[in-house]
Amino acid sequence: MNAPDAKTAPKAARRHAAGHPTPLLDGVEKVTGKAIYTADMNDADALVGRILRSPVSHGRILRIDTAAAEALPGVIAIVTGADCDKTYGVIPIAMNEYPMARDTVRYRGEPVAAVAAIDADTAARALELIALEIEELPAVHTTRDARQPGAPQLHDNKPGNIEREVHHEFGDVSAGFQAASLVREASFHCAEVNHAQMEPHAALAEYDAERDRLTLHSVTQVPFYVHLTLARCLDMDTSRIRVVKPFVGGGFGARTETLNFEIIAALLARKARGKVMMRLSREESIITHRGRPATDIDLKIGLDDTGRITAVECSVTQAGGAYAGYGLVTILYAGALLHGIYDIGAVRYDGWRVYTNTPPCGAMRGHGTVDVRHAFECLLDRMAREMGLDPFELRQRNLLQAPTRTLNELMVNSYGLGECLARVKKASGWDARKGKLPPGRGLGLACSHYVSGAAKPVHWTGEPHAVVSMKLDFDGAVTVLTGASDIGQGSTTIVALAAAEVLNIDLARIRVVTNDSVITPKDNGSYSSRVTFMVGNAAIQAAEELKRKLLSAAAEKLDADPEDIEPGEYFHVRGARQSALPFREVALAALAREGTITVKGSFTCPPESQGGKHRGGAVGSTMGFSYAAQVVEVSVDPDTGQITVEKVWAALDCGYAINPLAVEGQIEGSVWMGMGQALSEETRYQDGLPAHAGLLDYKVPTMVESPDIEVHIVESIDPLGPFGAKEAGEGALSGFPPALANAVQDATGLDMDVLPLSPDRVLDALRKARRKPARKEAS
Amino acid sequence: MTEAMPAFSLLHPETLDDALLALSTTPESRALAGGTDLIVNMRRGLVEAPKLVSLARVPELKRFETTENGLVLGAGVMLADIADSTLVREYYPALAEAAETVAGHTHRQVATLGGNLCQDTRCLYYNQSHWWRKSNDFCLKYRGEICHVAPRGKRCRAAYCGDLAPALMVHDAELTLAGPEGTRQLKLAEFFNEDGAQANRLKPQEIIVSVLLRAPRGKSAYGKIRQRGAIDFPLAGVAVLADCRKQQTTFTIALTGTNSCPILLNDLPPLGGPAEADGYFDALSKTVQKSVSPQRTTTIAAHYRRLSVAALAARLARQLWEEGQP
Repeated sequence: MNAPDAKTAPKAARRHAAGHPTPLLDGVEKVTGKAIYTADMNDADALVGRILRSPVSHGRILRIDTAAAEALPGVIAIVTGADCDKTYGVIPIAMNEYPMARDTVRYRGEPVAAVAAIDADTAARALELIALEIEELPAVHTTRDARQPGAPQLHDNKPGNIEREVHHEFGDVSAGFQAASLVREASFHCAEVNHAQMEPHAALAEYDAERDRLTLHSVTQVPFYVHLTLARCLDMDTSRIRVVKPFVGGGFGARTETLNFEIIAALLARKARGKVMMRLSREESIITHRGRPATDIDLKIGLDDTGRITAVECSVTQAGGAYAGYGLVTILYAGALLHGIYDIGAVRYDGWRVYTNTPPCGAMRGHGTVDVRHAFECLLDRMAREMGLDPFELRQRNLLQAPTRTLNELMVNSYGLGECLARVKKASGWDARKGKLPPGRGLGLACSHYVSGAAKPVHWTGEPHAVVSMKLDFDGAVTVLTGASDIGQGSTTIVALAAAEVLNIDLARIRVVTNDSVITPKDNGSYSSRVTFMVGNAAIQAAEELKRKLLSAAAEKLDADPEDIEPGEYFHVRGARQSALPFREVALAALAREGTITVKGSFTCPPESQGGKHRGGAVGSTMGFSYAAQVVEVSVDPDTGQITVEKVWAALDCGYAINPLAVEGQIEGSVWMGMGQALSEETRYQDGLPAHAGLLDYKVPTMVESPDIEVHIVESIDPLGPFGAKEAGEGALSGFPPALANAVQDATGLDMDVLPLSPDRVLDALRKARRKPARKEAS
Repeated sequence: MTEAMPAFSLLHPETLDDALLALSTTPESRALAGGTDLIVNMRRGLVEAPKLVSLARVPELKRFETTENGLVLGAGVMLADIADSTLVREYYPALAEAAETVAGHTHRQVATLGGNLCQDTRCLYYNQSHWWRKSNDFCLKYRGEICHVAPRGKRCRAAYCGDLAPALMVHDAELTLAGPEGTRQLKLAEFFNEDGAQANRLKPQEIIVSVLLRAPRGKSAYGKIRQRGAIDFPLAGVAVLADCRKQQTTFTIALTGTNSCPILLNDLPPLGGPAEADGYFDALSKTVQKSVSPQRTTTIAAHYRRLSVAALAARLARQLWEEGQP
């Protein structure tokens, strides 16, 4: 990793705790294997839960007969769609999914029933004994088929299978294109991808029949949504439900929504009046999906003769799967994040979210922006070539000036993209090497950005957007209580570092307790890269409150003004260290006043951050954007079409790196995940059956494909971020696929309009190009 | 819920005779070596084997020695040991390279030579869960009526995907097999069938004991077409052996992953002098293209497997030829 440049980095103060590379606090448990994930929990007295899934893509359920299965010794409970008539879904206005299908199945693998039995073998046999009679209906698996006149309809209230249409225009688009001296269009297709998080789905549900209480342990990123959904689907009072999130092995958006197996596990536990462990196979985890939809993009960009972007027109069609899920947010994000990265004269966006008979799509790292950014950065590169402009130069001519508001009313208070560009240009040796590499080798550039948390949560409650509690007791330990879900991204460590920084104390004095609804304050969840910004700010506020109480107590003991006292492991009057008081002594003095101290901090995104007044204007709104630039170097094998990523230089403006080690990891993870989508990852359905539903067939890159990634952290110090920080976990992802495609173009001369650039596609394109006379010879 | 592992009993014979006896007394039993293929398939409900006979403790299967006839490799030798062997690397490099490309490091620590040769054929309609195959009315290879790859065909088109077979075939390897009817020798090239449902000619309850590699006739190399540099089975794989003499070079080529059995090309015309080379290797690539018939058994298009493996074969042949030039 490269530290921020001393010359160019803004005035990041040298801090006590924040800004120091810190191993994740829960890292020890993870690398020693001691971490208990949901599937590892004690299931000695638990029944085995298993789900019966639809064998067809689309059909009417005529009969589900569970009598034979119920008669099987060892079967304790069976539930079907008849056991829950409540819909669920992450968007309150678009809940159209049942935990188990009731009348109609809409994708292969949709749950229709579930069994709780004394062991796995009995559960498997019980599934075979359930008689399921389905009248098969014609199905549509692609947006093209779904939008044909006369196509089978998935939902009666959504004619034409259109879940949501978006038509936004900001600025005068036709005038923009008229002012352009170069206008180019291109169409792109990006395959559907899955999160492929390392930990398969699991839930452990325990129903206390004596007290009518339910406890669920699950793999969720947002325990709060699960809690609300369980209450709704089980028709229970929220106060009778407890949701706990143990260690989670990755989410990437897959677990933002409440998922069907979580509800089914709870339904089974209540019916069995006991405990049910539900461990999904990798295939089932992949069928549960919620990944990035297959996306078609038609893009048109206008540049004036100085290379400034005068207008953009973009239409996007997403194959959303069988249910609404996050769909309307995804299709809105795809348009909203055309803004916020470059200074663009005018933007028209048309989006269609389409229902298809495939597993529902949802949020996935870089939610909504990745495929559109791919198209944008590829077309921009082609136009730079046509204008004879260096790709860096073209982007530099279109930078924003912060602070500013975009055409669609997004707030930009800090903007380090120019610095990111400068850093990767220098590091990659671009000027000396671009265009001078041997045949089959190339360099490509792309930029990207992402929100630091959705400024307007989808569940509008009026509450603060984040709350953190802190407790100080007789032991002198500071306990931080937060509902923020650490799913591997390092949020627990961020919260601890924030407290240590404000209180000026050792990290070891701080313990962070997370994610148990009976103990920790509610959190809106780990999604949209919101936690560092919102929870970080709330943690700072709570720590400030605690500091105020401690300073007051210390002032009394030291007979000084609180403002003159320096807090820390030893409190002392500034400039007079000889009269220092140990932290615990100050703590006990504070406790003598009021007993155990509990304080609270909160954070609310101000109204001006919450987007425009237009319909859908809340999506994309954020406190600040991260910005990234990356250069990818590739080689392409002319015989096999295989692309090798030789090296990546990635710079990210994360505002301020509270934990530079975690930021580095997040940038590498983003690059790597973008690389998977760019090179090899895609779902493949055979008439609706997932042929990709295992890690052998879903081509996540291996360590062999993992390139050397040179990370550069740029710190633009956001005025509202905690210590100036913004998000770091998503922004660098969407730049990778276009940087790779641009590098492949540089290496081979091929402009490819698809993702992934799998070897078969590359070889086909190479052969096609070879059949044509080479362009140079022709001209 | 992960598919429940079906119950089975496990025997641990300590001699070859005891192993053969255990296999022959229970007809439905299966020999178990590293288990990286069999256990996965059992778990997916593709194999019913109430009794497994582990070969792990049979000393005859662990041989790794040079004899007067050549190098003898017991069927139970680990792939990692083959990949790491300096002897194999020097004299049979294709074999070491092939072993090194199999799956991941941890697989190679348990997977065996014999197990790799006897690996079940693979197909996207077959290597799926019970739910998946049942939803698709199963297939010709197992419990079903039709082959989804070639619905009008009468035989299973699943692809043979062992990496080691072609590397051993170009070195003209011979097998020693043992079964209820005694011991027999067979050229590896004659061990396979072009039938995805039954890709090898092992008789019931027969096992591979060892593989004999005679003195190498030339330099060899193995190349593998796959999307990822680890884990993946070959979309196609090719071993090439070049016998470089003064006047001419003779190539032997064997391929895997393209058909229901490995394909051996051992009557290729020789390459004369350098002047012929470009045309020769182009023609060689075309010959390989015509010799293989990949089917829709993978999500990657069949024609890609044909084209890329042919190009790779020609590339490896050229490299070996260039290295053999004075």
